[in-house]
Amino acid sequence: MHKKPLIELINVTKSYDGETVVDNLNLTIYENEFVTLLGPSGCGKTTTLRMIGGFVQPDEGKIVINGKVFNDLPPYARPIHTVFQRYALFPHLNVIGNVAFGLANRNHEYLLKFFGEEKVNLTFNDMFGKDQKKSASKLNKVFDKLIEQAAKDALALVKLSGYEKRKIDQISGGQQQRVALARALVNKPQILLLDEPLAALDLKLRQAMQYELKEMQLKLGITFIFVTHDQEEAMTMSDRIVVMKDGLIQQLGTPKSIYNEPVNRYVANFIGETNIIPGTYVKKDVVHFLGTDFKCMGYTFNDGEAVDVVIRPEDFDVVDLEKAKIKGTVTFSLFKGVHNELDVDVNGVKLMVNTYETYEVGESIGLTVDPYEIHMMKVEDV
Amino acid sequence: MNKVFKALAVPYQIWLYILVFIPLLAMVGIAISNYDSSVLLNQINVDLSHWSILFQSQNVIAFRNSVVFAVLTTIICAVLGYFTAYYIFQSKFKNKFIILTIVILPMWSNLILRVDALNNVFSKNNIISSIFGFSPFGNITGTGLAILIGLVFTYLPFMILPVYTALEKIDYALQEAALDLGLTPFKKFWKVIFPLSLKGVVTGSIMVFLPTLAGFAIPKILGKGNFLFIGNVIENKLLSSTIFYNHGSLLAVVILVFILGSILLLTRFDKEGETLL
Repeated sequence: MHKKPLIELINVTKSYDGETVVDNLNLTIYENEFVTLLGPSGCGKTTTLRMIGGFVQPDEGKIVINGKVFNDLPPYARPIHTVFQRYALFPHLNVIGNVAFGLANRNHEYLLKFFGEEKVNLTFNDMFGKDQKKSASKLNKVFDKLIEQAAKDALALVKLSGYEKRKIDQISGGQQQRVALARALVNKPQILLLDEPLAALDLKLRQAMQYELKEMQLKLGITFIFVTHDQEEAMTMSDRIVVMKDGLIQQLGTPKSIYNEPVNRYVANFIGETNIIPGTYVKKDVVHFLGTDFKCMGYTFNDGEAVDVVIRPEDFDVVDLEKAKIKGTVTFSLFKGVHNELDVDVNGVKLMVNTYETYEVGESIGLTVDPYEIHMMKVEDV
Repeated sequence: MNKVFKALAVPYQIWLYILVFIPLLAMVGIAISNYDSSVLLNQINVDLSHWSILFQSQNVIAFRNSVVFAVLTTIICAVLGYFTAYYIFQSKFKNKFIILTIVILPMWSNLILRVDALNNVFSKNNIISSIFGFSPFGNITGTGLAILIGLVFTYLPFMILPVYTALEKIDYALQEAALDLGLTPFKKFWKVIFPLSLKGVVTGSIMVFLPTLAGFAIPKILGKGNFLFIGNVIENKLLSSTIFYNHGSLLAVVILVFILGSILLLTRFDKEGETLL
């Protein structure tokens, strides 16, 4: 599938008071993509988002949108809208006033283009008859009606029909979040920026909103750029995830590839729980760790090179002791509903293992790993 | 702990009853009586005959002067104060507190002293002309303009502070949201910042309007007797050889009604207590 680049960040650098927040960042985002910038606070993800939104100017590098350099364009001239972290709804306006705010403050020229001449003419004829002169005051009324309809449609999209006249402080956090979403979506942006919009919601609501956001993105065909520090959130929604640390991109890829094949310890640790075990790459398709040779596949290192082996807790298989490649003792067991989390001690190395069976602390168990579940990374100098 | 605080609040409660509520009731009572310094205490009766003073042309003019100057002062203070507050709010200056201190600095010296100094500057032979040989404001003392300048000069800080507080309370994200939604900086001001700071303007307006309405020192010093304000009428009633307590009380009650009306307005707009700044 040939994808069209929508946003290109080229060598973008930004520092505050001599401290580099975003360091020589290169990133291409395609049309209709859901991209998540993931990382702990202070990793530069929000700054990157704000540079795309136009609230912060990069010190160096170019921000290209639709093939045009956007560096110095103010926010109001960009085809981009933002859902802010704490929503930033206008307290002096009611729900529909907030949603209609963007369109209500545009000029006629913009609105004519936005709604399309045909639709404007149709509405005009509907309201005033065919041969009336299009005076500014009559056009105002036409646009008011169109804007109100658009705002109502946007509210329906976020399932808030009937809340039009409510005040902002009379609706819940989850509803405010939807209003903020509607306020951005009503403008039909090409790109929607979301700055940790779910952070303030409780777990249930957050999970529900994750699915809804993803659904909306697929339905509307808008490019979503989402910022979060929650790896689960990133996994659920994204087409691609950008893992960032200290202003640098650590890894860029699909949720699956980032989860299964982290490029370094940082990414492996950040994306969920994992076992990182020191080992040696013996020769092609053989790796040695925990005192045993394992079959592996798909990795090429120098023979005899030290590597870090990454195995997710759920990738271990618990087997009978005589069939096991590794034997260990259960030191800790926690029931998590669907599965049990075990800590297994293998000759002094602690492994996290997830299994559906229940094992008692002190029990000996045998473990094995399939070759394709073994991932390897270069050892980093720390 | 609560008990201690409660006990500590008792002295002020007593103070409030003795020196505020009771006199206030007494004032209303005297306003509907025949009490003046020639009347013995046992001769006091309910009497409304003096209410005719409300319609004496001199007093009507005094009321009109007070209201007109109070309204003008409030409007001028609102415009000047808003721009000053907005400028401080927008400035990148690190310690905005220092600028605000400078704003209220004149209030650290005595009001009468300040107004008298202004009077000197506005007179024909003033300190500026004796130093520089000429003065741009010379010889306006005794005019309405002099009073107006004096009032604005005195009460402007009462406008700047609440407006500034209201501006500071506006979440910066709202400004970003406005820009994000396609507003130019000019429109952003009128559609977001101004409506959200209006509360401060209302609070400030009431804080300027009240003392201007009831005041008598500034018009007396800068007006040179050319302008009679209602405060001056009350003062005269209490300084004449027969002290007309009932007249003074009545006029004060009328001012009180104005004030209560304003406070009603205030409670409608000022829910977060900016007036207590």
